[in-house]
Amino acid sequence: MKERVLVAMSGGVDSSVAAAMLVEQGYDVVGATMKLFCHEGDLPDRPCCSLDSVNDARRVCQSLGVPHYVLNLESAFGRDVVDDFVQEYASGRTPIPCVRCNTFTKFRDLLVKADAIDATWIATGHYARTIDGELRRGLDRTKDQSYFLWGIDRSVLRRMLLPVGAQTKLETRTVAHRLGLEVIAEKVESQDICFVPDGDHTKIIRQRLGDDAPALSRGPFVLSNGSTVGTHDGFARFTIGQRRGLPGGFREPMFVVDIRPRDRAVVIGPREELLGRGVVARAINWLVDAPGVGSRLSIQIRHRAAPARAEIVRVDGDEIELALDEPVAAITPGQSLVMYDGDRVLGGGLIERGTRASLPILAA
Amino acid sequence: MSAPIYLDHAATTPVRPEVLEAMLPFFGPRFGNPSSMHRWGRDARTALDEARERVARCLGANPDEICFTSGGTEADNIAILGAWRVRRHEGRNAIVSTPIEHKAVLGAVHQAAHEGADERLCDVSKLGVVDCDSFATLLRDDTAIASVMWINNEIGTVQPVAELAQLAKAKGALFHTDGVQAFGKIPIDAKAIPFDVLSVSGHKIGAPKGIGAVFIRRGTMIEPLFHGGTQDRGRRPGTENVAATIGFARAAELALAEREEEWNRLERLRNRLEEAILARVPDATVHGRGAPQRAPHILNVSVPGTDSESMLMALDLRGIACSAGSACQSGSISPSHVLSAMGVSPELASAAIRMSLGSLSTDASIDRVAEVFSALVAKARGAAPVAS
Repeated sequence: MKERVLVAMSGGVDSSVAAAMLVEQGYDVVGATMKLFCHEGDLPDRPCCSLDSVNDARRVCQSLGVPHYVLNLESAFGRDVVDDFVQEYASGRTPIPCVRCNTFTKFRDLLVKADAIDATWIATGHYARTIDGELRRGLDRTKDQSYFLWGIDRSVLRRMLLPVGAQTKLETRTVAHRLGLEVIAEKVESQDICFVPDGDHTKIIRQRLGDDAPALSRGPFVLSNGSTVGTHDGFARFTIGQRRGLPGGFREPMFVVDIRPRDRAVVIGPREELLGRGVVARAINWLVDAPGVGSRLSIQIRHRAAPARAEIVRVDGDEIELALDEPVAAITPGQSLVMYDGDRVLGGGLIERGTRASLPILAA
Repeated sequence: MSAPIYLDHAATTPVRPEVLEAMLPFFGPRFGNPSSMHRWGRDARTALDEARERVARCLGANPDEICFTSGGTEADNIAILGAWRVRRHEGRNAIVSTPIEHKAVLGAVHQAAHEGADERLCDVSKLGVVDCDSFATLLRDDTAIASVMWINNEIGTVQPVAELAQLAKAKGALFHTDGVQAFGKIPIDAKAIPFDVLSVSGHKIGAPKGIGAVFIRRGTMIEPLFHGGTQDRGRRPGTENVAATIGFARAAELALAEREEEWNRLERLRNRLEEAILARVPDATVHGRGAPQRAPHILNVSVPGTDSESMLMALDLRGIACSAGSACQSGSISPSHVLSAMGVSPELASAAIRMSLGSLSTDASIDRVAEVFSALVAKARGAAPVAS
């Protein structure tokens, strides 16, 4: 038998098939479902982490004949992911909790569990690949999840197995059927954030910060010239580029172009105000040897966005600034900046802000 | 891998061959419903009556004081909710219990509180023993029922139930004790100790899962949880699980016959395990060590710098079955409410491993557990990896 691998199993088709493929490949597979949060009372089926999902993962492991454990990572997840999620919204940003879950929960905390059971490998159902200690996009570009994986420690890449990353979703479902995993083969894909009940992220902000949290309190809609054009019920309901829920009566379509927590303002403007020529990101994590100023690469500022060409114009500790060849719309603070060279993921960071100038603004 | 080692007898035990044999006819020709008037019914009824008498004898009780249940949880619920729902109308709305009870008791107490009961939980010592003074203070003329377990299922400390029962009786409160871990370990005599209600379970003593009993002292009013039949004097409607009651009676008799010898054997093994672990891991904490009386079959140990979840997985993958804290619905582990109540730090509580000995435990298995456990501890604390 090959080495032991700890497979993070959500009860969904991707991680189930990942586990099944590793069993077929001869690995000593141990399945684990992470319990990350607890809804009081049981909600109707949540895409992951619910009791039903745990049960599905357990059933899959039973049919594969491998052990399955439920690991309680609730307090660490609450601290590293949920608290941050709430804080980011409270700061007028739009977080991606999945990035932090991958960085801290799956590929750090779960790795500790893997060490405890002498598992050489850790596996997930992500559509991405690791080749020679480098992270690559998933072969199925429509499913590629490499965007969410930039934050993991580079050294972990050599311990990761991502078995479904080299196939399409359809192929994954086909494998599920072939292996008789009917329980999960046609499960609906999860799109929501797992710990956000019924897709309304304001509920969890309210839970944590209270009804009178500034992020959920009334504030003005303003134009970039400063004039007030309406009121909203809390800036946490908005994200850069959003059109829904804005005041009407303008000649051209209006978008959220900025969120200002200090006066609770949601700044709206026409499409041209949404365009950025550069991007500043912090908490940069490199998955390759760090490229220097002047390096050209492609970047993605959101999941599924087309890659854009850019050049590194400034590196300052773990902060970076890039100049874009062509303007990009809706560069959103809190989202991830991920840097690629073709399929190779070079690294990433958290978007601090978009810049409208094409050259760096040098500190005085 | 060497043969797997089962060290979780406090969770459940294998059905004894004698018990299985005693039950088999009732899955075959003697299948009747004890409530039927015909010969099949009479035959089943005879068997059930005998089972009841035999279980009663094991507890120093009268047969009519034994009500068969689906197990310990149901027995606890009948005791707490059944008694409170009667007595709340008599000006006794309070329930006194402890924070180290099994969740079956705590859950029932919380449910009563949800329905309006005054819930009072007394203090426990650092050694996991109920504080009699605190218990006495909480008992007042308004107390419907007090409930204290006989042996704690997580750490094995024996509670002073005789004294506590006296205190409760003095205040006119009913006294219930969850005897699930005590049954078969400690002599239980309803004539000697004035408990009013007692819960016992079959699968902890070699009977199958799904059978237990609640002793209800004559004259004690209990409102049934179920409705719809006259079985068991209406206290527990539903066709009786005849086969399981036979198995339970047999297991109880066997356990009592072997009680002293098995106590001594398990205590010797438990001490051997405890000493071996403490010798190799001197900073390990054995919870409840030093308590006036400990059950012989439970060893609950925390090692700083480890966590229960990882240790349990690693032990399991090496063939050693233990447990920790209380498992939630999903099967994940939360830090033990018992250890928290004893004032154990969250770090130490989240490292707790419960090893519980029983019929399957041998010297050889104990020695192997001590060796593997200590090696895993060393590894978790950053020493060299353990060879498998």
